[in-house]
Amino acid sequence: MISQQGLVLEALLSGEFICRVSNEDSFLYLQDDKNAAQIEAQLNLLNRTLATAVEGEVYFAGYLALADKERKVLERQFREITTNLLPLTEWLLLVQETSGKDVPLTQGAAIRLNELQTTIEDTPALTEQLAKISAYPLFNSTSKTVDGQIKQIFKRLTELGYLIKPNPEKLIFIATGKLDYIYEVIRFIDETESLSLTEQADAAMQQGSLL
Amino acid sequence: MKDNFTQAGTKFLRALSRHSDLIMQTYLTGTVDESIYSPQVLDNLQTLGIIWRPDAESDLRLRRVVRALLEEGLSDERNRQIDANVGGALNKVMTLVAHYKEASHKHRFAEAAAHLADLTELTYALIDSLKQGVRALWAKIHKEFGYVASIDAKIRENQLAQSQVSEILAQLELFEFDKLAIEAGSNRDLRRLLVVTLQSNFAAITQELSLAQARLTELLGRFREFQGRTRLLKGFVLHLEQNPAYQPAQYTQHSKVPALFNLADSVIKPAAVDVNNPQHEVELSQIVGRLKAIYHLKTHPPANASQHIQVEKMAEVELDENKVKQQVEAYFCQVIDSGERQSALEYHQTEQLAFDKEVWLYQVIGEYEALPDTEKSYFEIEKSLTDHPIYSGNKIIEDVELWFS
Repeated sequence: MISQQGLVLEALLSGEFICRVSNEDSFLYLQDDKNAAQIEAQLNLLNRTLATAVEGEVYFAGYLALADKERKVLERQFREITTNLLPLTEWLLLVQETSGKDVPLTQGAAIRLNELQTTIEDTPALTEQLAKISAYPLFNSTSKTVDGQIKQIFKRLTELGYLIKPNPEKLIFIATGKLDYIYEVIRFIDETESLSLTEQADAAMQQGSLL
Repeated sequence: MKDNFTQAGTKFLRALSRHSDLIMQTYLTGTVDESIYSPQVLDNLQTLGIIWRPDAESDLRLRRVVRALLEEGLSDERNRQIDANVGGALNKVMTLVAHYKEASHKHRFAEAAAHLADLTELTYALIDSLKQGVRALWAKIHKEFGYVASIDAKIRENQLAQSQVSEILAQLELFEFDKLAIEAGSNRDLRRLLVVTLQSNFAAITQELSLAQARLTELLGRFREFQGRTRLLKGFVLHLEQNPAYQPAQYTQHSKVPALFNLADSVIKPAAVDVNNPQHEVELSQIVGRLKAIYHLKTHPPANASQHIQVEKMAEVELDENKVKQQVEAYFCQVIDSGERQSALEYHQTEQLAFDKEVWLYQVIGEYEALPDTEKSYFEIEKSLTDHPIYSGNKIIEDVELWFS
């Protein structure tokens, strides 16, 4: 049927992120320099180029030359990313706090929805936080129950490519490289605008411990 | 003397097994709950050196040796103790070597054999404790310090493990194998122990340790990255809380857009269906088969209108049938009138009837069969039949002849 090259090209032109978790075959295909060069040549025809982020863990298609039309698209995309940053960040922190492992969610990490749900339901503070997150336009949940809210959030995140659900019958989700991309975006903004986010967090934590 | 030792050892082990509940409880909780156990038992265990009281105020605890035995036996990862006192062991080895040489020199062979046995024990114990230390380190690395929850604690545990590794490595440097080789001289037993066994094991342990050290550094890097990420996320949320109006700069308007934000729009839309492609026929028909017809969504036409049309049609059909019936009756009458055999087809031709020949023959046969038995007996019917060209046993009626009997 369709060759690996065709699959990779289709995924890139559909605006997908290719990482080791979401599409391992395509990812390994692109790791070969010869294949990447071929794809690059084909993308160039359509004024696109093969771009990577997160130290080569994520591939996506970017524009080769930027004219007004492309800039408009980029502005729209950028606005989307920045408006989604806060809900995503809060969600990431919620999952991290709930898992109790103190490990941030990264590519390849598995989330068991049932466990997450039980913990959130048992902790009123987390329930409140979840309700707040699920009401963001990104998730747009109208449900009043934890069950409905959490399912809506995970459904949206899977649609947007931040998570994949390897087995449709089990409620286990795996984080993709696109989440790591979000970290990179925040880090980039932090460094470029010298927000010193890490220091702010440190200071807040020290204040918290003093109190 | 030997019997004495055996007896005392057995007694000690029995006490361990008899009070295994108490010991395991203490191992897990740290201290003995003195309200549950009788003072006699506790005294007995203290005399045997299984539990002890660090000072008058504090609770009873397990002795370190018992604890170590359990940690070893259970491969408990909480075991953080790594015995790195190689220097002391090395001095002991040297002392025993000197004892052994002196005894051998003075031909006191029994004494020399005892010293050699001690030396062997000491050497193997040294190797074993080092290997144990390396194994414990690897167990921690494999579980990524899973016994502590927070990343900060993991980082501290990692740093402790790193310092232990460097300490062991520093101690291993104390070994001067050329000196040991000179000490061993030409004695075969000493050479085997001090040169071959020690040296080969030490080489393996050193190698493992440097691998472990590399892994620990790598893990520390990862933990620090985790820590950094968490802080970054928390800092971002905090920043937005303090500056609700904050908007990131419009990077896409810069003359050179950062590669991170250069995301091309999707250009591929799903392809359309080609119903003329015979290769897709199976799949397409399956898809169509899966479509569900939803009846309640369809609007029904007004019921009385269709009824109206049907009435008209029915009348017409009846009219048609009546014509055929009338003609058949006329045919029957002609047979009666003429009193001769008459072919139905010939009648059809002579009268130039408008009906289809098949319909005509069918009607003739039908009318004949429909006659009451009394009337049927006035007529004779003969069908001229031919066999079906393909299916044997099937007959085709080509014509019907009717006559009055």
